[in-house]
Amino acid sequence: MVEAGRSPNIEILTNAELLSLDGKVGAFKAKIKINPRYIDADKCTACGLCTQYCPRHLVDKYNEGLSITRPIHIDFPQAVPATYYIDPSACLHLKHDTCKICVPVCRSHAIDFSQKPVDRELSVGSVIMSPGFGQIPDEALEKYSYGKHPDVVTSLEFERMLNPSGPFQGHVRCLSDKRHPKKIAFIQCVGSRDLGCDNGYCSSVCCMYAIKEAMVAKEHDPECEITVFYMDLRTQGKDFDAARTRAEDQFGIKFVRAKVADVMPWDKQLKLTYSTMEETHHFDPFDMVVLSIGLDSPTGAKELAKIGKFELNKYDFCKTETFTPLGTTRDGVLVAGAFQGPKDIPESVTQASAAAGIAAAMNKKHRGKGYVIKSYPDEQEISLDEPRIGVFVCHCGINISGTVDVAKVAEYAGGMDKVAYHSESLYSCSQDAQEVLKEKIKEHKLNRVVIAACSPRTHEPLFQETLKDAGLNRCLFEMVNIRDQCSWVHANEPEAATDKSKDLVRMGVAKARHITSLNEQTVPVTPSAIVLGGGIAGLTAAENMANQGFQCYLIEKSNTLGGHVALMRNTLQGDNTMAMMKDLESRVKKNKKISVMTSSELTDVSGFVGNFSSVITTVKGKKTTEQAIDHGVIIVATGGREYRPDLYMLGKSKKVITQLELEERLAGTAKNRAPGSIVMIQCAGSRGEDLQYCSKICCNNAVKNALKVKAINPESQLIVLYRDMRTYGYAEDAYREAREKGVIFIPYEVENRPKVTQKGTTVTVNYYDPILQEKVSINPDLITLSTGFVPEDPENLSKLLKIPVNANNFFLEAHVKLRPVEMPVAGVYVCGMAHSPKPIDEIVAQAQAAAAKAAIPLVKGHVNVEPTVSSVDKDTCIGCQICVNLCPYKAIQMVKEGKVKKAETIAASCKGCGICASRCPTFAISMGGFTMEQINAQIKAFGVID
Amino acid sequence: MGKTDDKKSGAVMVVGGGVAGVQAALDLTELGYYVYLVEKGAAVGGAMAQLDKTFPTNDCSL
Amino acid sequence: MSQEEFNPKILGFLCNWCCYAAADAAGVSRYQYPPNLRTIRVMCTGRIDPAFILRGFAEGAAGIFTGG
Repeated sequence: MVEAGRSPNIEILTNAELLSLDGKVGAFKAKIKINPRYIDADKCTACGLCTQYCPRHLVDKYNEGLSITRPIHIDFPQAVPATYYIDPSACLHLKHDTCKICVPVCRSHAIDFSQKPVDRELSVGSVIMSPGFGQIPDEALEKYSYGKHPDVVTSLEFERMLNPSGPFQGHVRCLSDKRHPKKIAFIQCVGSRDLGCDNGYCSSVCCMYAIKEAMVAKEHDPECEITVFYMDLRTQGKDFDAARTRAEDQFGIKFVRAKVADVMPWDKQLKLTYSTMEETHHFDPFDMVVLSIGLDSPTGAKELAKIGKFELNKYDFCKTETFTPLGTTRDGVLVAGAFQGPKDIPESVTQASAAAGIAAAMNKKHRGKGYVIKSYPDEQEISLDEPRIGVFVCHCGINISGTVDVAKVAEYAGGMDKVAYHSESLYSCSQDAQEVLKEKIKEHKLNRVVIAACSPRTHEPLFQETLKDAGLNRCLFEMVNIRDQCSWVHANEPEAATDKSKDLVRMGVAKARHITSLNEQTVPVTPSAIVLGGGIAGLTAAENMANQGFQCYLIEKSNTLGGHVALMRNTLQGDNTMAMMKDLESRVKKNKKISVMTSSELTDVSGFVGNFSSVITTVKGKKTTEQAIDHGVIIVATGGREYRPDLYMLGKSKKVITQLELEERLAGTAKNRAPGSIVMIQCAGSRGEDLQYCSKICCNNAVKNALKVKAINPESQLIVLYRDMRTYGYAEDAYREAREKGVIFIPYEVENRPKVTQKGTTVTVNYYDPILQEKVSINPDLITLSTGFVPEDPENLSKLLKIPVNANNFFLEAHVKLRPVEMPVAGVYVCGMAHSPKPIDEIVAQAQAAAAKAAIPLVKGHVNVEPTVSSVDKDTCIGCQICVNLCPYKAIQMVKEGKVKKAETIAASCKGCGICASRCPTFAISMGGFTMEQINAQIKAFGVID
Repeated sequence: MGKTDDKKSGAVMVVGGGVAGVQAALDLTELGYYVYLVEKGAAVGGAMAQLDKTFPTNDCSL
Repeated sequence: MSQEEFNPKILGFLCNWCCYAAADAAGVSRYQYPPNLRTIRVMCTGRIDPAFILRGFAEGAAGIFTGG
């Protein structure tokens, strides 16, 4: 958000409506109406005085109506743009021509009631629709006593309550009498999977946010008893099941599989009527009920579709196809985020990047036109000035200040030598805080900045950017981590955490006294990419890279393209997978910018983002060839395959097959391909057996095959034994259809998995039926196992590229939420099954996102080398070459200086590890940002006892 | 007023300033395009700005 | 034995790429550990000059942790 606010290449038009969209791809004309804020954005300082004086009350929508604001206000302090606005539907002046109290109150004369709506016409090449989602209408919530009893709240209202910037400063309170609730119930699937409000789909996010909210509520009050009532717990995302287990085992949150029939106000409490699988009826009291509301289509979706001239699906979300998940029905108009279908943050971020990449390919001709290159003020020369350090201590909402006494830490910092200024901030990463930082640097002539907040690994670049804006070299900055490594890990020891924060700040300031400006170098990039893996992810990524204008080398290990999707026949949505893959393959093969190399593997790689040099080894018959390729980026799309566990008689009995094998059989012509009785076992080998995780797509595949069986042989008796049916999103429709067609779904508990035995040619499945409440034994004609998916051997690649994998052997992205396709190593990107198992539409979006991200350094044409590299003082160097031999990156070379040879750093190759500096016998090597002087100062500060 | 801003031809318009819209806009600028980010409300950020922490890591959302 | 009786001061050198990242991850997962550690971030444990360790002990560290 902050970044968007300060980019010179994004014009943010708020209070703006799209009126029309004419033309075609490459030449759209969009008419926009911009409604007035009635406040001059250039003059408003966001001081908030106007809100204090405004006499009229207004329900605060940002806080979900749980608090009161005024018609003149800002939604939240970190808002971008950080300008107040007047709500014309509530302002006394705009409605009744009276009042105007705010006008003289505003000291910067920013209030301007003469503002009128402005029409603008924009010429654009493409359009991305990302209006998000809407709220489930209140009528759908009434059956749970929402609106009748104040202690029935929606999950969004509850979210605001938990938030430190929310209506109760982060305390959970019953709205009826402000008491802290001791028993809270979460009801899942409210407004989702519910034909009563025409939302047949699953919203795909509610299970996750309910678990999160429950855990946070437990953190606030460990005494509070929390029960989650669910139908299926759909925590199918990467590493999501682990969090669910943590919620249950560590936090003691109770999960009950039951549909709540009624919520009845009962004295001060609420009584819930529900019955569990065992048909036991309950009538239990709770203090508070949280409704996990689903995501509705956004308000105005129909109108937007009419203006944008594209189609919606039957649920009023944007209509898209499996193989083109970001394309609307109108060429040049793309979609991203929840409007494409309910989804979580990483999925939305992935789709956004993907849409950006597609739009970039569409408008390739115009790249760089009208583009503004950001300039910074000249850097101040500070080498001769005395250090003037500014220390800023962050509250991070309550993330830090909930444990650490922030005021004390700031005050302590203020008393230290060379500290010219100290202060606190609520969120030091917000845009308003950046403005404050810049002001304070100017006002107090600060030449070094210390921020005590979260981790430099995530936030250093943001603050360094602000320093550059303020005319300081970005290296005149030190970050002290008092959140991730202090308040969060010492949550129960506030005093010790405060002491630790003081010590860490003291050490940070000690280092800051010695930090200096460092120069930044840039090196040109090779504008091409290597894509590893020729499955759907690799093919899609390569095609997008090529369409953006970059040379691509597509490397496939086997001798054919297509990967795991080539083994499928169709999708749950009915697409012909084989035809689609053939089409994609032939497009890629024809593309002049793509070189396809089959039977090939990456065997060596060196260099860094923008300048990789790789060796590709191709084995064809007896002939082995090696080819060296220079390239700028690498996309890892090595895929996955169906797992074959040594369980449930798989491989031992002909009557036991996997879902992929059933799919192939059903596509054939054999007479008995859909026999009279079939048992499907979900999570066979997954979620706690051989594989610890959920593979996300097996439930869909099972439902797909079950429907196919029913289509071929309607008489077939089909039983699906499952733990949670995870047919999230629109797949819920197919799940419902399967039930309507007579497929029997029976849940089993993890401690009571079904058992398969064999006697002669007869196979027997033993399982416990919770409805009959007895053990059942049947001899089906066929048993189909949903076995999950495993990644194609990531070990070699992980070592070669120095990229990490998670506990389940999937490549680990740089940031789960915000950088879902980037690897921690710059210039390396991941997509498809190599990241985690997922359905085709998600793979396509992820591959396009990886291509978009990978194109960024290639578009720039150069990369900046981190200034924290080693440098050799030639006068002190004795030319011993110890450093040259030790450097793991071949980043030091010997150069002739007159008659002797001296060491010299190749900055672009240096990773800043410092091995050379710690081993130099004459201390000739200095590490930028980690000098001997700086580290010694930190150690010395460590030893100071107050 | 109402005049076409032709200097920026090849620009991309993003309708909706939630997390998807903002991310798309940022990526587009990095790919060399000028972006108009059209938001109905008074600020960008969308629903994500209302969240404090996110699943499964309970990391902050801003 | 209570915390007051034995409360050592430990100095840590953490590699930015692995151990420092792991320490951040511990925070994200809300693992709780005793608050005795004070850390210095380096870009790699290769940066650690043996003299840093000696100096740390001289400054009163009861133990020194290097993580890389």
